[in-house]
Amino acid sequence: MDEYSILVVDDNPDDQVLTVRALKNASKNSPVIVLEDGQEALDFLFGGENKGSRSNLDSLGVILLDVKLPRINGLEVLKHIRSSPLTNWMPVIMISSSDEPSELVEAYRLGANSYITKAIDYLEFMDQMTLLARYWLTVNKVPESGTVREL
Amino acid sequence: MGRWRWRYWPLKAKLLFPTLFTSTLGIVLVCASLIVVENENYREQLESELQVIAGILAEQSAAALLFEDHEQLSNIISSLRKIETIKQACVFNASGVLMSALYSSDDTSCTNMKAQPELGFVGDYYRLSQPVTLYDDTVGLIYLISHLEVLKAHIRTFIFLALGIGVLIQLILVFVAFKLQRVVSHPILELSGAAERISLAHDYTIRAPVYGNDELGRLGTTFNDMIGTIEQQNRRILESRDGLERIVEHRTSQLSLANKELEAFSYSVSHDLRQPLRAIEGFGRALEEDCERLLDETGKDHLRRIRAASVRMGGLIDGLLVLSRVSRQPMESKRLNLSEMLQDIAEELIDLSKPLPTEVHIQPDIWVVGDGRMLRIAFQNLLENAWKYSAKEQVRLIEVSATSGADYITIAIQDNGVGFDMRYIDKLFVAFNRLHTPSEFGGTGIGLATVNRVILRHHGKISASSEVGEGARFCVSLPVGD
Repeated sequence: MDEYSILVVDDNPDDQVLTVRALKNASKNSPVIVLEDGQEALDFLFGGENKGSRSNLDSLGVILLDVKLPRINGLEVLKHIRSSPLTNWMPVIMISSSDEPSELVEAYRLGANSYITKAIDYLEFMDQMTLLARYWLTVNKVPESGTVREL
Repeated sequence: MGRWRWRYWPLKAKLLFPTLFTSTLGIVLVCASLIVVENENYREQLESELQVIAGILAEQSAAALLFEDHEQLSNIISSLRKIETIKQACVFNASGVLMSALYSSDDTSCTNMKAQPELGFVGDYYRLSQPVTLYDDTVGLIYLISHLEVLKAHIRTFIFLALGIGVLIQLILVFVAFKLQRVVSHPILELSGAAERISLAHDYTIRAPVYGNDELGRLGTTFNDMIGTIEQQNRRILESRDGLERIVEHRTSQLSLANKELEAFSYSVSHDLRQPLRAIEGFGRALEEDCERLLDETGKDHLRRIRAASVRMGGLIDGLLVLSRVSRQPMESKRLNLSEMLQDIAEELIDLSKPLPTEVHIQPDIWVVGDGRMLRIAFQNLLENAWKYSAKEQVRLIEVSATSGADYITIAIQDNGVGFDMRYIDKLFVAFNRLHTPSEFGGTGIGLATVNRVILRHHGKISASSEVGEGARFCVSLPVGD
């Protein structure tokens, strides 16, 4: 089957470019979907007015969710993802500029699979993204498309 | 048993008992002495009466004895019957022959009596002998025996009378004493009741009633004055406490507001300042990769410098965040093995550092009390410093030792590095002050400020001593705790 796609939710255009660049460097074949804020992410996952959610969900391998997002922040998006039976199995990695301990604790409390502080050193950041892509797309197994709904 | 001791007696009993005891004792003593005196008096009276009777009898019977006129003697003796007290009378002539007797059933009793010379009060009787004389010649002897029934009856009556009067007086005294003790004890009981109520209810508005202007009255007034003073002071204390509480509350809310602001500030610092840095660094890197052919060596060097500066600024931001975090984080105190923590840190450093012969000696089992995470930050900084500044030696030597005092435990971290100039010691623990240039040794200048903050928050002390080229020695003193 096709490679799982990676969903990146980040409001900062610089970070979007850099993250996509690092992910492409790490896993050339995985499609990367970039969304700008929490509301868009929820629409994408649960179906807004114009987007069908099923196909989106089926191909998704991992979500990289920035903590600080306009309107609906990353932690709230995470809460929604964990509270819906459609998505509660989905690996969600919180990525943040800060290393504020309270934020870290809250992210795990809400069910994040991982929490990454974006390194300022770009080489280090690329290492982080490479490790992430390798682990969540190759090493780790997620349920086959459709099985969650069927079971 | 103890309850019957004097000091457990109620005040009323204490006041009543001695009065009644004394009065009873007095009355008993008075009665007893009256009885004794009356007894004596009556005896004397009896005695003199008998003597008078005996004298009269002797005079009357002198002639009859001389002439041995039995009939006459009998008549004279018989006249004694009228006198109740006389039990027996015997008349002897000069030669000791019983001439006449009264109440005597036989002669022997009179004869026996003559043989017994004991006179006066003997047993239940009074005996008296009266010689009968006529013109200075003794012509006979009269014995009189009186029984003491009358005396006894008299004394008995007297005793009953005395006791009756005594009991009556005592009853009156009990009544009076009871009334009197109420006069004394009532104010005291009221006072003690008021004191008890005040102490139980902590109600300082209670006042004791004041009776009269004697010592008890003054005691009551003084007591009330004292309670008034306490009430006033209490009110003042409560007022000032309320004031203090309001101030504390106000300050606390101000402080927590400031803390919240600080938290928000450091959150945005950590979030928003890092992001542009990351962009600068990331796009610098991208530029380097994508446009490699367009850049000459100078251009590449400029790019490297831009990227290095961003990374350094990232380090500064991180350092500042740690510094602010150790300043505001709540502390939790635990007893922990510092030696193990230091060993841990040292092992991490050994893994990371360039291969340089390194000897680290850490005294085992140094126990301290403090917040584990904060102390780890502090000692990580200290060990990293020791590591960093001894990187240019042939062999790196680091030694950690501890000395325990009564209140403090002092941990010394000694290295053999470049050391520092003691002239600048006052800049050592101040943020952003560095004693070495970045080209000599990297660093942000925040590490020791953070260490200082952590140690201060533990109510400890930190000091450093060094000579240039001779290594540095940092001493951390931490309170021993309870």
